[in-house]
Amino acid sequence: MDAKDRALPTIRLNYRKGDLIMKEGDYGVSIYRVKKGHVRVTQQQGEMEVVLATLGPGEYFGEMVFLNKSVETRSASVRAMDEVEVEVMHPVRLSKEYDGMPPILRYITNQTLNRLNRLNKLYAQLLKKKELESRGPTDPGVAQRKYFRKTLDQTCIYKPVRSSDKVRLQGRITDISVGGLGMEVSSRNALNVRHEPGEEFIIHTTLPSGREIELIGKIQTVSRNAAPGRIQLGLKFTRLTGEATKTLGFFMMS
Amino acid sequence: MAIDSSVYGYMVDEHEYPDKKVILEEGSIGDWVYVVLEGQVKIKKKTAKGLVTLATLEEGAIFGEIPLFLKREKLRETTVQAHGPVKVGILDTSRLDREFELLSPQLKGLIKTLARRLSESIEKISQVAGR
Repeated sequence: MDAKDRALPTIRLNYRKGDLIMKEGDYGVSIYRVKKGHVRVTQQQGEMEVVLATLGPGEYFGEMVFLNKSVETRSASVRAMDEVEVEVMHPVRLSKEYDGMPPILRYITNQTLNRLNRLNKLYAQLLKKKELESRGPTDPGVAQRKYFRKTLDQTCIYKPVRSSDKVRLQGRITDISVGGLGMEVSSRNALNVRHEPGEEFIIHTTLPSGREIELIGKIQTVSRNAAPGRIQLGLKFTRLTGEATKTLGFFMMS
Repeated sequence: MAIDSSVYGYMVDEHEYPDKKVILEEGSIGDWVYVVLEGQVKIKKKTAKGLVTLATLEEGAIFGEIPLFLKREKLRETTVQAHGPVKVGILDTSRLDREFELLSPQLKGLIKTLARRLSESIEKISQVAGR
């Protein structure tokens, strides 16, 4: 054991249930090994806190910063789930050994690490998608208030649901959420077609992501004050196909 | 991704697979470690709603390595399928294993945790995707 090892012995620490042991985003070098109890590893992905893993005795955490030299901050938070005892190691000793590892093992380990990171992101995306799907556009206002709106400037073609295919009106989508959208149209459009609350329109547009989407919604609000010759409409989606829900969901997440 | 030169010293065999051919089947027993030499493979997982693609691997990518680190896990957790014609190399698992065992308990434990977490995240994705 050289001088550095003597100066940096392994430390034992105890945590109570609920204690935060490691915080995502913080600088850190310590490598932890659970001796007693269980810890939960979580990551903030957008608005969601995602549980990545539950670790028990004999398992390590805090290793990401050690294994991935290009990263200096903690990639996840770790919290004690019960009475926890951890062994804390300074990476300096392991670092030497890691650098001296057979290159093939280092090569494989790095890929396992990258795959883990990518799968964690995929997991968060899938969770979000499932959450969006389960709420759906027909939920009452509660779900919609929680979702943010994206501002847009996207032309669209729309027509009343109960009308012939020959009717083709043009509008401009100003903002969109998973529950509805805001649209601005020329007041001339209202000359022959009713633009009043309750009217149901079918709208075709191409999202900035390049995906085409078909949306069906009912007018909730009509405003003629915004600009001369223009009418502002607020629509709530009434029916979206599974495909449209998915496309819109992904767009809102991007 | 270029193929690391260290890989060639451990390669014991090469196989070619046509498009869509299953290289590793989920649930099968095996502990060979593979490297993609040419082409691409897709990693897929069975879920309640069918097969879900977890990743697409390209030249230089390793797959099948989890049993190397987690000795108890000898059942393949994912299906690996050729995406277009593909050439894979098979690595000398026993030699890799011997070298892995020579590492200190701490470094071994650290890497095992990584493999365990990869295994767990594969399982979690399967559950969410199948909902």
